[in-house]
Amino acid sequence: MEAIEAIMTRRSIRKYKSKKIPDEIITTLLKAAMNAPSAHNKQPWHFIVVDDYETKMDVTEYHQYSKMLEQASHAIVVLGDNEIQTTDFWIHDCSAATENILIAANALGLGAVWLGVHPNEALIEGTKKLFDIPAHVTPLGIISLGYPDETKPARQNYNQERVHRNNW
Amino acid sequence: MKAILGRRSIRKFTGEKIPDEDVKKFLEAAMAAPSACNQQPWHFVVIEDKKSFNKIMEIQPYTRMLEKASHAIVVCADPELQTCPGFWVQDITAATENLLLAVHALGYGATWCGIYPNDNPVWGIRELLSLPKNIMPLNVIAIGVPDEEKPPSDRYKEERVHNEKW
Repeated sequence: MEAIEAIMTRRSIRKYKSKKIPDEIITTLLKAAMNAPSAHNKQPWHFIVVDDYETKMDVTEYHQYSKMLEQASHAIVVLGDNEIQTTDFWIHDCSAATENILIAANALGLGAVWLGVHPNEALIEGTKKLFDIPAHVTPLGIISLGYPDETKPARQNYNQERVHRNNW
Repeated sequence: MKAILGRRSIRKFTGEKIPDEDVKKFLEAAMAAPSACNQQPWHFVVIEDKKSFNKIMEIQPYTRMLEKASHAIVVCADPELQTCPGFWVQDITAATENLLLAVHALGYGATWCGIYPNDNPVWGIRELLSLPKNIMPLNVIAIGVPDEEKPPSDRYKEERVHNEKW
C-alpha cells in the first residue's frame, strides 16, 4: 500500500480475528515508531509489547474503553522517558511515534486503535502499576492491534473551514 | 512503510514552489489523523508570504530553513472543540505526523519546528497570524522542494522495547 493511501484509509479498528501477529511484524511496527521525529531528536520513547491474555484483560479492568483488547493479538504501551525529554515535548514525540505505528499497521493489513492514557491521572496510575513502570516514565497511550474483522470506509475529514491562508 | 522509514527532517530547499493541489493533499492527510472521540480540534494556517517567513524566523530561530521553503504550515489547536478534554496535544501532533509523511511520500521535504509549549514563540506566532485567544499554535512545518538527500536513518533501539512488563 502506498503511503498516502495508508494515511487516508486508516480507521480505528476494534474487531479482530484470532490470528496472532508474527514477531517480525511487531518489530517492523516498532521500527516505524522509532523513526518518528522528536524535539531535538531526543527519541524519548519506550514501548511495552504485550501479548499475554491475562495482562490485556488486566488493562480492561481499569481502562473503560479497552474492551477490544480481549480479541486483540497485541497491545503496545507507548511511554515517554521524562529524563530524556524533560519538557512537555515528550507528548508530541510519543504521539508522532504512535501515529507511525497506526499508519504502518494499516499499510501492513493490520487493524489498530489508539487508547488514550495521558493526561488522565487514574489511567496513568493504573498503567504504571500494572506494568511496573518507573517514576520517570509516563505512559502516553496503549495501541490495540490485530488482524481486522471489520472493514470501514475511508473517512472524508477534510474541512476547508479549518484552512487559513497567510493569516487567520 | 518506505515513507515512514525513509522520512528525515529536510532543511535545505531549492526555493521552488509546491503546487496548491499537493498542499491540499498534505492537509487531507493531516485531517485523516485519529483524534480523541474524533474531536478533530485542528486548524492550519498555510503561509507562502516571504515577509511572514522572515518574521517567523525572528520569532523562532530554529525555523531558518524557511529562507528557501515553499510553504510554512502552522498547525494550531482550538481546545474548545474538544469533547474529550486533555487530548488536544496528541490529536494535533498525530495530524502533524500525517502531514510530514504525506510531504515525504509526495517527494517533498519538511521540518517540524516546535512552538507550544514555549511561551515566547506562542505569543509571537499568535500576534503575527492574528490568532484568536483560544487558538494555540503548536508547531511550524517548513515545507519545500528538497535540495539535499538524506539516507534513511536506522533509529531502532532494542533496549527501548520491553516484553509484557517494564
